[in-house]
Amino acid sequence: MASISFTINGQAQQFDGDEDMPLLWHLREEVGLKGTKFGCGIGQCGACTVHVDGEAMRSCSLPMAALDGASVTTIEGLSGGDKLHPVQEAWLEEDVPQCGYCQAGQIMATAALLKTNPNPSDDDINDGVTNICRCGTYFRIRKAIKRAAAKMQEA
Amino acid sequence: MNTHISRRRFLQAAMGASAFALTVSQTPHLLASDTTMTTGMPPILRFTADGRAVLCVPVPDMGQGMATTAAQIIADELDMALEHVTVELMPFRGVIDDNGKADWGHLPQGAGGSQSTMTAWLPLRQTAAYARSLLIDAAVREMSAPKVDLTTRGARVINKKTGTQITYAKLASKVRADADPNYAGMPLKAKAEHTTVGTDQRNVAGPDIVTGKPIYGIDQEVSGMVHAAIRRCPHLRGGLVSHNGAQVAAMPGVLDIVEMPRLPADPDERRLAAAGVAVIAKSYWTARKAADALEIEWDGTYGQMTDSTHFRTIGMEALDSAEMDETVREGDVAAALRDAAHTLEATYSHPNWAHTCMEPHNCIADVKADGVEIWVGHQFMDVAINAAAEATGLPADKVKGHFYRMGTAFGRKYEKDFVQEACYLSQKLKKPVKVTWSREDEIEQDYYNHMAFYRVRGGVNPDGKLDAMHVRAAADGRFSSATQEIPCGLVENYLGEWTLLPSAISTGAWRGPGSNVRAWVTLSFLDEMARVAGRDPLDFMLDLFRSKASVEMKNWPNLTLDLSRHVAALEKVAEASGYRMPTPAGHGRGVAVFQTHHSLCAHVVEVAMTGEKDFRVVKVTSAIDCGLPVNPLGIRAQVESGIIDGLCAAKYGNVVFEKGVPATNNFDTYRKLRMAEAPLDIDVHILDFGDDTPRGTGETSLPPFIPALTNALYVASGKRVRRLPISEAL
Repeated sequence: MASISFTINGQAQQFDGDEDMPLLWHLREEVGLKGTKFGCGIGQCGACTVHVDGEAMRSCSLPMAALDGASVTTIEGLSGGDKLHPVQEAWLEEDVPQCGYCQAGQIMATAALLKTNPNPSDDDINDGVTNICRCGTYFRIRKAIKRAAAKMQEA
Repeated sequence: MNTHISRRRFLQAAMGASAFALTVSQTPHLLASDTTMTTGMPPILRFTADGRAVLCVPVPDMGQGMATTAAQIIADELDMALEHVTVELMPFRGVIDDNGKADWGHLPQGAGGSQSTMTAWLPLRQTAAYARSLLIDAAVREMSAPKVDLTTRGARVINKKTGTQITYAKLASKVRADADPNYAGMPLKAKAEHTTVGTDQRNVAGPDIVTGKPIYGIDQEVSGMVHAAIRRCPHLRGGLVSHNGAQVAAMPGVLDIVEMPRLPADPDERRLAAAGVAVIAKSYWTARKAADALEIEWDGTYGQMTDSTHFRTIGMEALDSAEMDETVREGDVAAALRDAAHTLEATYSHPNWAHTCMEPHNCIADVKADGVEIWVGHQFMDVAINAAAEATGLPADKVKGHFYRMGTAFGRKYEKDFVQEACYLSQKLKKPVKVTWSREDEIEQDYYNHMAFYRVRGGVNPDGKLDAMHVRAAADGRFSSATQEIPCGLVENYLGEWTLLPSAISTGAWRGPGSNVRAWVTLSFLDEMARVAGRDPLDFMLDLFRSKASVEMKNWPNLTLDLSRHVAALEKVAEASGYRMPTPAGHGRGVAVFQTHHSLCAHVVEVAMTGEKDFRVVKVTSAIDCGLPVNPLGIRAQVESGIIDGLCAAKYGNVVFEKGVPATNNFDTYRKLRMAEAPLDIDVHILDFGDDTPRGTGETSLPPFIPALTNALYVASGKRVRRLPISEAL
């Protein structure tokens, strides 16, 4: 079994374990990054959303075998420093989280969307952020996405 | 309302059992006599070594916002601001009762029935007032100043005469609880003196949530722990026949294979835990992969008659011909229907809904000979502790619970199964075990919202007044509440009848138990009766609620309702939504108002048809009466949440059973609402009737939303939705 080389939040990683293991469980159980959440295990809910080479991916359905050479960013590495990412700031300002369990995934999906589409329409938001929130915070998420977009355009 | 409600009695009521009275164990003397509070600072406030204040809230948070609301209540009474404090969940501080069961002490430590804010309100304020008093007394000693000169502001005791001040952080270690034996009856702030209570406060866990901190039960780890992935019997109340565990045990990383007994063994009893096979490994993923490789033969004979298609047959037969239990009889329904100017008969039905808690159930247990520790997110600390005691045979006072934020709960995380499984495995394996559920098991092993069929008949007299109503209900759980719901009490001739349908399904509390569906049946039918009588539904409802000054709820919590609040809520949403203004073609507005538990909510829903069979909710205008609003921002969040959860359940919620097996078991087959279908606009109005105590919000907005939605769909499409889910009815 060939060793898999990749990065997590900028740190070089080597993986020699079970290549079938989804990235989600590697992050949670082996790296100790618990911000990426288990929700459904079949790529439906998006609670496990991370960035792989800048794109939002559902890590519960992404085997380690697919990661050689990849650059992975999790919620813990989104801001890249002490200052929050504008999406995180917007989430707090709109008071989006209720239980909060899905919100790391929602934030990662939003950050990826805004990178390619800095001024998304309502339809773009519908297509770009399809994660499930059981508290039903969608109304505030939409407002937060627009607020984050405005912040990033000002910056 | 200033009462400590016996939790067990509340749960009986929430589960649909008989009504109960509030028990009052809340007296000022309790504070002075409570042994947990006589050794120093009460448990609501502590300071870290570097002097940072930590407010400790008693009630677990599942997204309903109790961490924030409780922190506000504490901070207000202590003259502190929330900006510079940390908030944490207090450990269990209850008592062991005469039966050896853990129960709450002075403070409520469970969340259900939308009661946390109202039950915590007085004891939390008393405790905080007591803490403030202790801090002032410490300042009297430290400053050598007379008590009358001292006041508190901004987490400091201030000498009004000299202006000198000491921070609470400096005083905390000087607090002596025995300084004054007459602490009972500490004066509480008057309503006009509130500073933090009544102001918008963002979720105190927000910063941890948006940065991915490990704050949920599923994020916890314990030294030396192993993981269990359990394959649970998918057949309702089924059993284990055989499995190839010996082969799977040889897979890499597998430590053990353990058979899980069905609890209780008798399938006629309500399920406590499913039969299954557990795979033990050093990581969850290893255990999961091996568990998926298990080949298992199950015994599914017990539940095979429970089938969604068959259920419809026996449900309709019961409506047609079953001899039912009479729940209410007032006047003479048969005569009134005979004499009515307009009559209508309609048949309603809804399927079971699953909870789909965002965080799959999980628990860590470490069982030793002389005690057990559990790490879990659970709605009720005492229930979780008692579950661990029951599973291990250890006394409840030997259970130490570590409790965490929950990734939603909706009533499901009041149950015991996930705690008992972890305890069972840890006791057997003699090491800490973490059990993590799959999404499939979370849906298959749910305690579902009940399924029911209804036949409703109504009559309107020549004056346009509803004066006859007959509700027959057949349900798969003890949910007769729909047959005695308002307008029962407002209709002169009323008959309610109910029967239990045989089923192997286990039902349980689902956000707004009973209310969530009976609000739909009754308020959709009222809308239908209004149309039959040629009246606008809003006017028809206003007339009905103006016909008497008050009405007694026949369902829990059996309050006498001042109906002027129903009228005010309806008028508010009508005015704010422009209910009487014309809508664009293809749009429609619907209205409903409903009392859920202790609070009231009205909605006007505007929908737009997006095709023959689909629609979009354009706008929801809501008015909530939840007493004194502690956190308006949080109340609006809960109203929005209930609207979207109600839309999701009504449009798609449908657990399908095929010969005793749930055929829907993940988000691919059990559809949930996503961003694209969420309402575009939600306008929430918090009504102020001058109340000086708060009531609940978590379950209040969902029940009236569903009838307001289907009433709107009738206007927009001409189709009356009498069968849920809507996606299959339009």
